Amino acid sequence: MLNKKTILILFILLALVQLYVPAKMILSREEVIASGSEYKFKTAPVDPYDPFRGRYIILNFQEINVPVADLSDWKEGDDVYAVLGTDEEGFAIFTEALKSPPDADQDYLATQVEYIVENEEKGLLLILPFNRYYMEEFKAPAAEQAYREAGNSTGRKAYALVMIKEGEAVLKDVLIDGVPIREYVENAIDDQP
Amino acid sequence: MSLRKDLQELREAEVISAETEERIQQYYQQKSEESGSRLFVVFGILGAILIGLGIILIIAHNWDDLSRPVKTIFAFLPLLIGQLAGIFTLLKRYDYTVWREGSAVFLFFAVGGSISLVSQIYNIPGNLSSFLVTWMLLALPLVYLLRSSVTSLLYIIGSTYYAVQMSYWSHITPPAYLYWLLLLLIIPYYYRLYRVHPDSNYTYFHHLFLPLSVVICLGSLANGYGILLFVAYMSLFGLYYLVGNYWFTGQKNDRNAYTVIGSLGTVIILLILSYDSIWEEIRQESLPFIELLSAPEFWAAVVLSVVAGGLLLRSTRKHAISKLQPVAPVFAVFILIYIIGLYSAVAVILVNVLILLVGLAITRKGARQDHLGILNYGLLVIAALVLCRFFDERLSFILRGTLFVLVGIGFFFANYQILKRRKAHAE
Repeated sequence: MLNKKTILILFILLALVQLYVPAKMILSREEVIASGSEYKFKTAPVDPYDPFRGRYIILNFQEINVPVADLSDWKEGDDVYAVLGTDEEGFAIFTEALKSPPDADQDYLATQVEYIVENEEKGLLLILPFNRYYMEEFKAPAAEQAYREAGNSTGRKAYALVMIKEGEAVLKDVLIDGVPIREYVENAIDDQP
Repeated sequence: MSLRKDLQELREAEVISAETEERIQQYYQQKSEESGSRLFVVFGILGAILIGLGIILIIAHNWDDLSRPVKTIFAFLPLLIGQLAGIFTLLKRYDYTVWREGSAVFLFFAVGGSISLVSQIYNIPGNLSSFLVTWMLLALPLVYLLRSSVTSLLYIIGSTYYAVQMSYWSHITPPAYLYWLLLLLIIPYYYRLYRVHPDSNYTYFHHLFLPLSVVICLGSLANGYGILLFVAYMSLFGLYYLVGNYWFTGQKNDRNAYTVIGSLGTVIILLILSYDSIWEEIRQESLPFIELLSAPEFWAAVVLSVVAGGLLLRSTRKHAISKLQPVAPVFAVFILIYIIGLYSAVAVILVNVLILLVGLAITRKGARQDHLGILNYGLLVIAALVLCRFFDERLSFILRGTLFVLVGIGFFFANYQILKRRKAHAE
């Protein structure tokens, strides 16, 4: 049996580790936000639910397949380093899928293959580690609805603002027609009779 | 107090000495104190669980109006409070169960809450399973350092949730091997609990939670040869039954979760396999030996069968075969039937016969021990078998009808016999 002093020291060590884990999560995100490069991903918000972490909107990214030369090189769950570029409208696209990180001057995202698309648009569908945007519980469903109504009538554009550095990505904001989704929802709620 | 009066009377009548009187009084006083503090422990733990869960729910509201630094402070606040409570407990209140359990349980939820809140602030999707693993690993040392049984139970639940989330509910479903490591890490605590407090409620809940967790998660090994898991499950239930019967023999029947889970599980799997459709699948499945060597289901089946077999052999060496508990050898017989089933359709008939025999053996045991519960359990097994066959259109109505009538008569007759015998004893 351990004596009390040892237990106390071990407990303090444990407490430090318990503090370190969330602190590390915060610091690494802050660094990406501070010094990463910004990309806009075209998206559509949907509203699911997580029992521990509450309401969020999930972002359904569009046209985000990565073209690859040979599909047989890849299988679901593989690690992938996807090189980023932008299209003529300024939205992010993946230009290339690699098995190891690219040269230092290229931005890329480190993730896994979610699904292999085998129809004519063949390519890889990636797990995008920034597809959740947490919102207050009553606003998340409203956000989805507001977007759907707006999208149907006028075809507005929604996109996610993502900071990327050395493969790590942090979702900074979601914007609908250039308006942050939180404000957009508040406006929509205010507009309701 | 009537006890005091009675004791006084007994002393005056010189039935007991003054010393004995005092000792008896002390004993009862201590006992009532203990039960009082036990209630306190229960409420303490419940309080900590409710507060912890409440904090998680409040956090999950996602407060949009709070700025990032404020949210960050809130992420660490419950954690720090829990840790300070833990340190205080270690320094001043280590001998109080309620303090150890309460602070550990609160800290358990604070850890989960703080990771959750950070995930929210930075929109980290980090799938639920990796979140659960981080949480459980950060909470595990609490079980050992604060000797908290409730945290241990929560840890088992969390680990099980992880395996289920990972292997049953995800799009890409690899076997959750990490679960088995998580489980292994709690075993030393379980063992110590069993050795030091074999009769406490915590131990009982561990006897219940651990085997159930394994039952839930064994299926997560399915990775192409899921059909082999029938063998694995049968051997697992056989193992439980043997462990319950020959290890925890000192325990009362209704507190022996291993025996109950083992017995019920065995019967349920056999009933599932009393239908031919599954055997058709088993016959069609090709099992190339080389590929089997890398299949987790195969190894689960082998390891569990070997361990259960070893235990069965040991118990037959200790006790005469005729004294063997009715469900104990079923898994071994089942392995033979399974091998036959790979080649022949006769297996399904053998399984039906096996269920009937198991049912009869349990009924016989109940009758011998004059135990109506066991007796009727045996009859229920037979009734369940008949009920399964009731929907089997390949049997004629007359045969099915006759079976029903026979089992019904059996119920009446067996219960009547026992009650009559009891009455005779009473007179």
